[in-house]
Amino acid sequence: MKTRKDTLLFIAFLLPALASLVVVIIIPFLMGIYYSLTDWNGVSKTVNFVGLQNYLAIFQRDPSFIHAFLITLAYAFLNVLAVNLVAIGLALLVTNRLKLTNVYRAAFFAPNLIGGLVLGYIWQFIYNNVISFYDFMPQMLAKPGTALAATVITSTWQYAGYIMMIYVAAIQSVPESLLEAAEMDGATYSKRFRYIFFPMIAQSFTICMFLSLTSSFKQFDVNISLTNGGPAASFMGESIRFTELMALNIYYTAFSYNKMGEGQAKAIIFFFLLLVVSVTQVYFSKKREVEA
Amino acid sequence: MKKHFVRILAAVLMGCMLSACGSGGKAASAPAESATPSSQASAAEEKAEGAVSEISLFNNKVEIDDALKQYAQTYEQLTGVKVNVTSYGGGGAIDSFGMLKTMSQSGDLPEIFVIAGPTHYEQFKEYICDLSDQEWTQYTEQAYLGENGEVVGFPVAIEGYGLAYNARILKEAGVDPNGIKTFSDIKSAFETIDAIKDELGLNCVVSMAASPELNWVTGEQNFNVYLSGGLARDDDSMINALLSGQVDEQRLRHYADYVELLFQYANSKTMTVATYDAQVSEFALAKAAFVHQGNWIDPTLKESGIDFEMGYVPQAFLPTATNGIFISAPTWYVVNSQSPGAEEAKKFLNSMAMTEEGHDYMVNIASMVPAFTNVKLTPAGRLSADVMRWNNEGEAYSWNQYHLPDGFALNTLAPIFEQFAAGSIDKEGFIAGVTKAINSLK
Repeated sequence: MKTRKDTLLFIAFLLPALASLVVVIIIPFLMGIYYSLTDWNGVSKTVNFVGLQNYLAIFQRDPSFIHAFLITLAYAFLNVLAVNLVAIGLALLVTNRLKLTNVYRAAFFAPNLIGGLVLGYIWQFIYNNVISFYDFMPQMLAKPGTALAATVITSTWQYAGYIMMIYVAAIQSVPESLLEAAEMDGATYSKRFRYIFFPMIAQSFTICMFLSLTSSFKQFDVNISLTNGGPAASFMGESIRFTELMALNIYYTAFSYNKMGEGQAKAIIFFFLLLVVSVTQVYFSKKREVEA
Repeated sequence: MKKHFVRILAAVLMGCMLSACGSGGKAASAPAESATPSSQASAAEEKAEGAVSEISLFNNKVEIDDALKQYAQTYEQLTGVKVNVTSYGGGGAIDSFGMLKTMSQSGDLPEIFVIAGPTHYEQFKEYICDLSDQEWTQYTEQAYLGENGEVVGFPVAIEGYGLAYNARILKEAGVDPNGIKTFSDIKSAFETIDAIKDELGLNCVVSMAASPELNWVTGEQNFNVYLSGGLARDDDSMINALLSGQVDEQRLRHYADYVELLFQYANSKTMTVATYDAQVSEFALAKAAFVHQGNWIDPTLKESGIDFEMGYVPQAFLPTATNGIFISAPTWYVVNSQSPGAEEAKKFLNSMAMTEEGHDYMVNIASMVPAFTNVKLTPAGRLSADVMRWNNEGEAYSWNQYHLPDGFALNTLAPIFEQFAAGSIDKEGFIAGVTKAINSLK
């Protein structure tokens, strides 16, 4: 029976978190929608309402955003693949009965603790000066394709440890007895992996896919410090920055071109893209879970 | 009892959380103040009622960070007013003016900050003080004027940029720096040096950068050659034409030839990924005969103990003679009119221009060329001294790159340069790209 005291207690506990959510996320989001319909330049006090003009301008006059859109999709695909493969591999390695597995786990997780900006600068130094020390090694950040690969490598290095931890937890929750029973019945390693192991960690697979997908879409600090948009390339007749992901493109539109209204419009589009991608991914993963 | 304990604990935790949300500064200083009432009283006695004792300054020239902080300390010893210096710059990911914008939106704009031209003036107009009544205004012609002709900006320094050369290398190659006046002069000079570059121990003739991080070198400074190279100081025809979407094709073609020359004789391996340090050190370590930078690299060179003879040659891109380099005040200090420390800020700036310590800081410690005629010291830095010489003897072309629309130089033009440097577009493509970018400004 809920008493009035209990209700007050519930509200009291919920209030701080709810207040933070509203102030930091809901209100700026609504303000963003409002500003995306204006031509505000970020500093001036005059704000004119222009309706959907910003949204149209983005698709008509801005090849850099369309390119950023496409390259972010490509980057997200590559990054999710790379991070998950590396993370699963590391997790399997680390749950064996070796000595020092705890040390390995901490070591693999450590790169995640380094801030993205510092990481980007360190790796930039590595790519520019260390790897290309010998003449036959390429300047990775100078060519569009290899610059994208370099960004994927750096962010995989940063993020794989974090995802590995989640997989480790999942792997440890798989009952040994099931696997042993299957082994005794004659199942090979690959069959054990596919029919027992994999379905049992499918739930963590959903989580990890979701995390790595959203984090690759939102990638900003490694992007700006490693390549700052990277080598220039031609796209739709204009010179654009090849590895400029969407977050960076929005940042430059808003703060360098001082087109806050257009930047907000791009941000809203970004939000919807991320929403669609995440919901789709979770839906399909959940479906698989139920079946398995 | 246990039930009560849990509820009290919860209430205390929530209280802590809410007070942390509030201004943490006030909460922290309140106990400190009550603990030291005596020092509080004496401090109050020393200063006048309502006076500000601490102001902050936002500086975007990272190379003078140490010098500025040193001068701030001297100033504090002399007047008791503390000046907190924050330096933020360098290019690429570090966006000084974006940072200022963020600071203004969070109400954190410092007492003194910098503007670099009309777009920043427009942005921060409401925060900028009128400084026409200050003493230093009579000693300089480089002050920034506001929309009604009033003085609003204190010139940080005079800076010049062009092609700095290493005198020893040029002498060994038999090239006379004073003989470089036209495009064919500079072309033959580059070719001569390039032919014997192995003997001279060089990696390349000119240390030029066309990377995303140094987008200001190509998009702003190098492009300014097209905007004001060879033109009289108050000749705004090229920039006005550009702002209305027109291109001077003949001039752009000459300019493209010059850019092609620079990229051809630069270090192709590192040009497209260069950092500021990499570009300057290539010149400092005598691996390049020329460097496309300004006299602001003097403090950096001094720190590394580099002291060979160097000077500037004009960026001769026209078939006719070019007799000057690009000299202007790069940024101006402005005073935040909406902050209570505005008067102290004005006094600080005044002291920089009018006192001996200020002169000493500007010329000797920060190695800048002062913009004030009442400064009798000459800079020790070789490039700075050369800039002063060009300012007196040659022509000083203006800096028009800051009249370009927002983001145009750094994000629209710079990628075109980068592609040209990487070789993915040729000279015709470069000309077409720049023309298209300018035409879109109509």
